[in-house]
Amino acid sequence: MALTEHKKPEQPDSGILVVNQSRPTKVNCWSCGAMRAAHFCQECGKVQPPTPVDYFTFFGLPFRLNLEPEKLEGEFYALSRHLHPDINAINSDREQQWSLEKSSQLNDAYRTLKDPITRTEYLLRLQGVQLEEQSKAATEEARRTGKIKKQVVPPDLLEQVFELNMQLEEMRMNKKMGEPDRTLERELQDSRKQLQDKYNGLLQELQAAWNQWDGLIDRAEQGGSVLEEDRIAVRDTMVDVLNRRSYLSNLLRDIDEVLES
Amino acid sequence: MAYSTKVLDHYSNPRNVGSLDKNSAEVGTGLVGAPECGDVMKLQIKVNPATNIIEDAKFKTFGCGSAIASSSLATEWVKGKTVDEALTIRNTDIVKELSLPPVKIHCSVLAEDAIRAAIGDWKKKNGQHSQPQAQPVEQRA
Repeated sequence: MALTEHKKPEQPDSGILVVNQSRPTKVNCWSCGAMRAAHFCQECGKVQPPTPVDYFTFFGLPFRLNLEPEKLEGEFYALSRHLHPDINAINSDREQQWSLEKSSQLNDAYRTLKDPITRTEYLLRLQGVQLEEQSKAATEEARRTGKIKKQVVPPDLLEQVFELNMQLEEMRMNKKMGEPDRTLERELQDSRKQLQDKYNGLLQELQAAWNQWDGLIDRAEQGGSVLEEDRIAVRDTMVDVLNRRSYLSNLLRDIDEVLES
Repeated sequence: MAYSTKVLDHYSNPRNVGSLDKNSAEVGTGLVGAPECGDVMKLQIKVNPATNIIEDAKFKTFGCGSAIASSSLATEWVKGKTVDEALTIRNTDIVKELSLPPVKIHCSVLAEDAIRAAIGDWKKKNGQHSQPQAQPVEQRA
């Protein structure tokens, strides 16, 4: 399948398990007519026009969440060297334009994939999850049914977040007045430890979900069938973990900020 | 991004900050959050049992200026309304009043959620299980 036929990330088909069949395979080079790999012609080495592909495909990767950071980094540097606009400065205008566009695509792809959290978020978006719209969707559901809205994070976590924010506010005030409250400070330090443990636990949960996801991808790639409900279950687990994680990481950041101020 | 003057007004001079006795039967408490931004919002209402009118409302929000302004406005609006009237407040009304930009719409959603959650809590305390309120009208909205 040619790269241009690959689905754009903005229009994910969430109904099926996406298997990345469109590794940057071979297409005719615009310059010499030979078959090429995605980014350059294998025969004459010319940079190829940018195509709207997702970031996994850009790197020729399957949609797996476990990846080797060193390998990705190596690939990034190798591609950077060849795509850099300076290197292509002596080429035709359109090649310069392409190398510029592809460099920026490369940077976005690398930045997104190298971080485990943004990588997961990106995959979820490809799977049709609108992370920014969850709250709104749940509110609409509540309006429709007249029930209390289903909160996207567990109530006890919200309670904890609220209480800690109250303490942080008090601590900030104390510090401003030049009267730091030692008891409160110790309490915050204790809370910080607990939150860090919780946070680490979440990362383990995420890792377990990654492994499940990759298992599904592997099965699909080997031609096995993957149940829709399995795909949705893993996907929703990841969404849930990321939601809780964002609260915890904000809290840890705020506690550090207050304790170190 | 510039905040509208109304947001700035509510932000620098928030109405009804504080808390009510959450154990009182007349008080309903809603605690909501949006993982998108990590905001948390607590909104409380005090309802007159004879008239079902919301006589007092308080809030405390940890979040951005728009979230604070949205909840401040929400407390202003629910006061003096019956619980059923308060349930018709929509996040879009808040967006309009505060001229919130698209990236801040979730703040108004949070405020609507908080009202709904507070009323839900009050109803639960008072043995009314949250029935669909004024449903025919709302569903068309």
